[in-house]
Amino acid sequence: MLRRVLLPSAAVVLLVAGVWYFSQANDETADIRRRLQALCDDVNSSTTDGRGPEARAAQLGMFFTDDVDVDLGGGATPIKGRATIVAMAARLQPRTAAFKLQFEDVAVAMDPGGNSASVHLTAEFIRRNLLTGEQSLDAREFTLGMRRVAADWEIQRVTAVDTLK
Amino acid sequence: MLPTYQPDKLNLVNRLAYVGGERPMRNDVVAIQMAGPHVLYVKRVIGLPNERVSVVDGVVNINGAPLNEPYVKYRRPWTVDEVTLGPTEYFVIGDNRGMAAGDHDFGRAELKRILGKVVF
Repeated sequence: MLRRVLLPSAAVVLLVAGVWYFSQANDETADIRRRLQALCDDVNSSTTDGRGPEARAAQLGMFFTDDVDVDLGGGATPIKGRATIVAMAARLQPRTAAFKLQFEDVAVAMDPGGNSASVHLTAEFIRRNLLTGEQSLDAREFTLGMRRVAADWEIQRVTAVDTLK
Repeated sequence: MLPTYQPDKLNLVNRLAYVGGERPMRNDVVAIQMAGPHVLYVKRVIGLPNERVSVVDGVVNINGAPLNEPYVKYRRPWTVDEVTLGPTEYFVIGDNRGMAAGDHDFGRAELKRILGKVVF
């Protein structure tokens, strides 16, 4: 009798726990996707929102951890630290009016523990010639390491992937 | 891929071309995916698995023999050191070779990245 009650109860508890676990994981991946979209939005709007270059660069810096490590491959010198990214962004700002960033095929894999995640995506850089209006598209594949810092997700590592080796 | 394919035009890709044991063949124009299927390279297969591929003064060599490429109309004297392809690797290049080699994306593509065959 006891067995007839316990087994179904255990199955129900396991089922509920499983549903809860997967719904939590889905919430986290959705948060990360939203965060990456916010980064794109900030990059794309940063020349038209009336803020100064330094303020806009500092805003972009909030998407990265203090110790972020960016490896663009191809022999380029790795970029280390949020301060470096903020300084680079401040210098680039005046030129980004004709530049649009968007992410495609974003795949998020949560690490055990739920406080870090790996992201695989394609970044599209759409440039518009200010004189002719002609657009050109460059695309590059990246893996990102992301870490939860307080309530937000920040990018800790950026690594370019060679699609063709 | 000039002059075979023009930029900013729609292309049709047969995603069933390489299922069921079919494999890309030399001269096939294929779509190669980056992180997923929404952003693709369009390139021509010139080297097959386990072959040796090099480029000398703009001429592609397969296992040491020059490859006849009538589809290449714009060619600069690229030089690429010989590579030996792995069992699931294909060497792909675009048809437009009128720019410096450093400005052109080409190289080894894993079979799993080849999404299908470009029909037109």
